[in-house]
Amino acid sequence: MSRPGFVLEVDDRTPPLLVHNGEGFKLERFPLGTRVIYPPESLPAVRDVEEAIQNALLNPLESEPLPELLYAGMRLTIAFDDISIPLPPMQKPDIRQRIIEAVLTMAADAGVDDVELISANALHRRLTPNELRDIVGERVFRSFYPDGKLYNFDAEDRDNLSHLGQTRHGEDVEISKRAAESDLLVYVNVNLVAMDGGHKSTSIGLASYKSLKHHHNSHTMIHSRSFMDHKASKMHESAWRMGEVLTQHVKVFQIETSLNNDIFGGPLQFLQKREWEWSIKDQASFLATKRALDIAPAKLRHKIFTETKSHYGLTGINAGKIEPVHDKTLEMVHRQHLVEVQGQSDVAIMGVPFVGPYNVNSVMNPILAACMGLGYYFNSYRGNPVVRKDGAVILYHPVDYEFSQLHHPSYVDFFEEVLSESTDPATIEAKFEKQYAEDPWYIHLYRTSNAYHGVHPFYMWYWISHALDHCGDIVWVGANRKTVERMGFRSASTLQDALEMVSHSVGRSPSITYLHNPPHLLADVR
Amino acid sequence: MSLADKLAGKKVLVTGVTGFVGEALLHRMIGELPDTTVVAIIRPKGSLTGTARMAQMLKKDIFKPFYGEGTPYADADALTAARVEVVEGDLSDVPALPRDLDIVVHCAGDVSFDPPIHEAFTTNVLGTKSLLERIVETERPVHYVHISTAYTAGRRRGAIPEAPVDHNVDWRTEAEAGMAMKARIEEASRSAAMLTKFRKESEKLHRRAGHLTAAADTERRRTEWVAKKLVETGTERARSLGWTDCYTFTKALGERVVEEFAAKLPTSIVRPAIIESAVQSPHPGWIEGFKMAEPLILAYGRGELPEFPASPDSVVEIIPVDHVVGAICAVMATEPELNKPEYYHVSSGARNPLTFEQLYAGVRAYFSKHPFDLGERGAVRLPVWKFPGGDSVESMLRYGEKAHKIADQIITHVPRSERTRKYARELDVQKRRLDFLRRYMDLYAEYAQAELQFIDDNVLALHNALEGDDREKFWCDTSIVDWQHYLQEVHCPSVTDSLRRLDVVRKKRNKALAESAGVLKKVTPSDDAEIIAAFDMDGTLLSSNVIETYLWMRLPELDSHQRVGEIGAMLRKLPKLISAERKDRGTFLRTIYRRYEGADLEELNRIVDEVLAEHVLERLSGAAVRRIREHKAAGHRTILITGAVRPLTRPLEPLFDEIVAAELAVDDRGRCTGFLTGPPLVGESRAAWIKHRARGTNIDLSKSYAYADSHSDLPMLTTVGNPVAVSPDVSLFRAARAARWQIVDWKTPATSSRLEIPGVNAR
Repeated sequence: MSRPGFVLEVDDRTPPLLVHNGEGFKLERFPLGTRVIYPPESLPAVRDVEEAIQNALLNPLESEPLPELLYAGMRLTIAFDDISIPLPPMQKPDIRQRIIEAVLTMAADAGVDDVELISANALHRRLTPNELRDIVGERVFRSFYPDGKLYNFDAEDRDNLSHLGQTRHGEDVEISKRAAESDLLVYVNVNLVAMDGGHKSTSIGLASYKSLKHHHNSHTMIHSRSFMDHKASKMHESAWRMGEVLTQHVKVFQIETSLNNDIFGGPLQFLQKREWEWSIKDQASFLATKRALDIAPAKLRHKIFTETKSHYGLTGINAGKIEPVHDKTLEMVHRQHLVEVQGQSDVAIMGVPFVGPYNVNSVMNPILAACMGLGYYFNSYRGNPVVRKDGAVILYHPVDYEFSQLHHPSYVDFFEEVLSESTDPATIEAKFEKQYAEDPWYIHLYRTSNAYHGVHPFYMWYWISHALDHCGDIVWVGANRKTVERMGFRSASTLQDALEMVSHSVGRSPSITYLHNPPHLLADVR
Repeated sequence: MSLADKLAGKKVLVTGVTGFVGEALLHRMIGELPDTTVVAIIRPKGSLTGTARMAQMLKKDIFKPFYGEGTPYADADALTAARVEVVEGDLSDVPALPRDLDIVVHCAGDVSFDPPIHEAFTTNVLGTKSLLERIVETERPVHYVHISTAYTAGRRRGAIPEAPVDHNVDWRTEAEAGMAMKARIEEASRSAAMLTKFRKESEKLHRRAGHLTAAADTERRRTEWVAKKLVETGTERARSLGWTDCYTFTKALGERVVEEFAAKLPTSIVRPAIIESAVQSPHPGWIEGFKMAEPLILAYGRGELPEFPASPDSVVEIIPVDHVVGAICAVMATEPELNKPEYYHVSSGARNPLTFEQLYAGVRAYFSKHPFDLGERGAVRLPVWKFPGGDSVESMLRYGEKAHKIADQIITHVPRSERTRKYARELDVQKRRLDFLRRYMDLYAEYAQAELQFIDDNVLALHNALEGDDREKFWCDTSIVDWQHYLQEVHCPSVTDSLRRLDVVRKKRNKALAESAGVLKKVTPSDDAEIIAAFDMDGTLLSSNVIETYLWMRLPELDSHQRVGEIGAMLRKLPKLISAERKDRGTFLRTIYRRYEGADLEELNRIVDEVLAEHVLERLSGAAVRRIREHKAAGHRTILITGAVRPLTRPLEPLFDEIVAAELAVDDRGRCTGFLTGPPLVGESRAAWIKHRARGTNIDLSKSYAYADSHSDLPMLTTVGNPVAVSPDVSLFRAARAARWQIVDWKTPATSSRLEIPGVNAR
């Protein structure tokens, strides 16, 4: 049985603790009294995955078993989560591959021959053929990709979008035409964190800019407290409303999976152990890894991290109607991630790791680093933020001036042209969003190359608006001063300096909480 | 009797009145010789007549006290009318002179030490002769005062008497030979051998840019060579006869001409030494333009003169300009006999010598107290001179020049980067200093090591003969000058003043430049004309080169065995290709493109779309794309001009309104033949293409833009009004700096990897 997550209070016997710092790690000695939140240890995985899949498909929640929904001559569409989850990517075989194979087998048995597979990437970049292959597996890829039956969703292909109507709040619901006109839409999800899944899958993953802008905007985002709690998130509320409209038009068979926290294996296993329990071997691995990373050239270091793949054990799979399926999924996700924390603190500390949802096989540029820290980690709470209102957040990441011109062409322009004028999400939204969203060059790159949509960096910035609004001070440790300054933050050389810098607002002896993730955690702040 | 009385009612012709001594003389005559009329020969310049130039001159500060309130003259024009008569004309073709002259002072002359030989003879010998002939024409016993130089003594040593220079060089033969040199050297420069040499040299540098660029440079080299040879010939001829340089040589021959005319005209020859700023009049420190010592003083103050080939004990014959003018005035009042020209040395060495070491100490003391403020780095470190002697300074310099040459060779051959550009810039500064040193050492070494002493008894006698307050007004006894005071309080402050003011401006400008360095000005839309923005591709928009992109295109088609073969073949050819690239880009491109023979064009297009596009896009510089889009947004016409093959430009198509690329010729089966449909657009062809494109349209090239990275793009950049050098190679970097073009560094994202070959090992 795995141990639950807990909150450590740093005392004089606590060893230096591990902090993620981009493509590298640090051992940091935290001030006495610092609370350190450890996620629960990895839950035991389902022993027979095939059996669990079969069981879920044959005994769905509030729905007929899948085989009963399949018939010859029908239009079947299988949509699946794209490369942005799980993080780091999963070792082969991907859980989505296993599920899709099972679904396809049942479809074949029922004589369904009009099947299309769509990567639900919304405004994310198109996946390369190799990346698609990694998710769906060789067999499915070979059978569907060459005929154009396995493809990326194109949110700018006006001819292949379908407007399903508006929600009671007047929000447009516009999704993939193929999905909308299918007799059955099977959505294959990976629920890495509590934010994913539910109505977010289809009504966001297969939606166009016209539809997305109703919830991906600075106003909604600032009131999503937090993204990890769909009942307290304005964004999710909007997605749920859209889901209602969507399910009136389309029959959706939702398959959700939850994974355990078994992220780092092999020599990197020490990354998910508690530091005082590190064996001699773990300590040696840490030292060796750290030394090697320190002397490795940046490109090699990048390659090492990019190629990191995680084991992940399946902790649960549920299928059927969206809402009950998602409730079950969240239950499992919470069991894996939730840690009870008593009260907020003056300062929250987070180490931003090497990968986020939008830089798989790419580089984490400054905007993505900010989004990872202040969007995802800051929002990893239920109830109240870990840090009190007007408190300080201290982040670790080098924040180098590094952009992938292939994947993030609009990001670099956003960084140079937009952030140099303003860092206020609402101002940015009013002044620049439309221009970037409708820019023909970005649209061209989004549709034909592997670029995130022109508007995507804006979403990253809205994503952090809650943190910007909530926090008094944001300081990065060991970051590139220029890039951090451009984003409106400050940089400190050490944790001590960072604490010194924020002392004017939180005092000389603030209460501090360090979120010891990844592995993922969700702080349930009472 | 005072000088003013002696010279009252006289008419004095002054030549070279716009020069340093001439101006001071005019000032003194207007001020202290109230009843003497000045006649000035002034050459019209541009649209200004001689009279207008005189009026302009009288508006200078030193003349202001002579007119306006409290004076008899209302303004400069009234003063001119009353005191000065202007004869329009030029000494190369002396006009007829007024018939009522009493005295002629000939101050005009070429003061440069290294004039081309024919010019030196024209001004210093033949010009003097024609002037004298014109004076003789007036049929009056005009007192001719000839301003020569003390250094007509040439390389002689010891005491130099105030007497004719002892030599038997025939000035007619020398003048004839000297004048003939111009045509001879010009002719020599046009010989096939020389022209070939010039052409080869310039092609080494400019062949890549095109024949016309190389030709223009060839012609520049030829004229430069002619000018250099003419100077060299003059210097060598002078030295072969015992003079330091062409200046003193022709001046000495000029004296011979004057001596010949002494039978017809009463003659005085005034020989000043090194004329420097005034001690007293018009005001202490007054100086016009830079004379002999100033560039050296300034260079020393800037810390750029590490050593000088001078003998510390050699006497520097400096003489303040007002002493020279005083002597000339006193000489004007003398009445020499025919056939007995009088000589006057206006110099300081005989009775009040200033040694080189003292001069150095004075200048050093001045700059120690008042250093130049050259920026943020505080006062300049002043070099300490050890006076090691001419030879060792010479070898120091020669070593420096050699080291520079080697460094320059290296820097122009290593791959370009921000660092090479930085080194190139430092080398250029070094080069400028070396050239400066070389020039001044060659010019002045002789003077700094001269061991001669000019006897000035005649001048002292003149001074002693001055009566009453004339001694104050026309002082010409140099023994009173306190050299250290003169150097530190009068001369140096005066000559550094303008530079200090310039430094303030420059400092501000440099600061502004540093702030805007690498930042391009925003582009603006134009209402009245169409504007184009032409971009080069390889090296400018993305880091790639033709060989690399060729491999990208071909390798995906081949199996692994063939791939190894292909890469091996390219590697083997690399040295040859690189040298071809340096010589002629067109040939180089053709060599590479030959290898496309047999490739299916459709297949190439497909490979680009499916495999290469992401690699091209990944390597695009973000700043470059932003700039292109900025142009598009401003309504400019964006054009991609590249020597790369058409398929490669496909990923960039949406960015450009027009793409000009190399078109691969195909056979009837759609296979590449290995040839192009037309010559690749490189070097001058790009410029020609742009010009042709603009012809007959509304395109305004003077407002248009071009972006390129390589020296071969120079012609293209020159055709537009707003050229931008992007991460340039050293040659283009130098050209861009010289032309003050904008230079930016567009970096390819560090995330892309050189070793990944699309479709082979890349994801």
